[in-house]
Amino acid sequence: MELIFGGFQNIEQIVQAAIHEDVDVIGLSIHSGAHFAYTEQLINLLKEKGVLDHFLILVGGVIPARDFQKLKDIGVSNVYGPGSRVSDIVNFIKTNVKK
Amino acid sequence: MKRNYDIDDLINRFRQKDKIALARLITLIENQPDKASTIFKHFENLNHDSHIIGITGSPGVGKSTLTKAICKILLEEGKSIGIISVDPTSPFSGGAFLGDRVRMTEISLHPNIFIRSLASRGFRGGISRAVLDISLLYEAFGIDIIIIETVGVGQSEFEIYNLVYTTIVVMVPGYGDAIQMQKAGIIEIGDIYDVNKKDLGGEDIAANIDVMLDDSSFQSGWRPPVAMTNSITGEGVDELIEYIKDHEEHLKLSELLKEKKQRRFAYKIKELMYYRIEQILGSLISEEEINQTSINVVNEGKFKIYEMVHDIFSNVKFEKKKKG
Repeated sequence: MELIFGGFQNIEQIVQAAIHEDVDVIGLSIHSGAHFAYTEQLINLLKEKGVLDHFLILVGGVIPARDFQKLKDIGVSNVYGPGSRVSDIVNFIKTNVKK
Repeated sequence: MKRNYDIDDLINRFRQKDKIALARLITLIENQPDKASTIFKHFENLNHDSHIIGITGSPGVGKSTLTKAICKILLEEGKSIGIISVDPTSPFSGGAFLGDRVRMTEISLHPNIFIRSLASRGFRGGISRAVLDISLLYEAFGIDIIIIETVGVGQSEFEIYNLVYTTIVVMVPGYGDAIQMQKAGIIEIGDIYDVNKKDLGGEDIAANIDVMLDDSSFQSGWRPPVAMTNSITGEGVDELIEYIKDHEEHLKLSELLKEKKQRRFAYKIKELMYYRIEQILGSLISEEEINQTSINVVNEGKFKIYEMVHDIFSNVKFEKKKKG
């Protein structure tokens, strides 16, 4: 597994990097409370470029449990709130990314 | 999610300059080296050469920022650029933290740039195979300038040197004295030397390099120039780009470019052959046989190791087929 750390980027830069590097997973870490806005923006841009089905999308950070399902409804594969275990995330990626 | 790769479809989209197709072809060749010949067969009639630049230097000298500064100017000139950013894989975690993109964000959205990061592990055939394959794909894509950015530590620095046409060695003030530079062997590989972070001084190191270069002889007729830059403000970068263009011109006018091209591929051919031999060997000598031999060596004595390896090979026969 290799990690491309994006730092603080806007959604366009994230999508560009994901396409260029041909990654398997896009992980958003959001702590600002704006998780719907960013995630929707990401999914819309991926749709627009016709690559939405190329990636597994994960969202983590300070996300209230009540928002998990809503995020999944708009296309996020899984959501990890405070207290999530790294091993769960790794296992989820291993099970869901097929080469 | 989908991970199916239809090569013909990818090639068609690649020809229409679709970067998604370029990215996927890179992945495909990385993961399945055996597909490389099928893919490259589609480009046999292409005759595009990119100028290939290597930027090397120790971690922290500002290679990424310098690359960004160089790209900014070249993009303004209308050039298309492909970057291959090589980051070392941590030997401890086994993972790679490809952080160079963080510094490239400013230019990464430009339509004429493509950036691919590589970790120095996980590629069958090693880092230089991946670098060559990606650079070939960039050339097929029609990219004008390829920049390969790599940390100048150990063997990889010299591997990369074989794969590029213009090598830029980046240093910073306080690097050490001339002897250390000679020890590091860097004084032999650069076509251009750059002292970055010139705001911290650096005249002394630049002068040192100059003296050393004066002492060396250059059969190629190219005496490496020494530039001084501040990659954050962009100071001196124009001059550095002039040196790059001068060097490209020099390579073209002399026979050197041809030589460098030959070196680029000779290096590769050797590597590809070793890769094949390894495969053949793997099919002739099993992993169990190797394990069993190591058990035998431990049991019967370590000084028998050469004898035992010799014994394994006594049952193996290589033969070169006669043609026709």
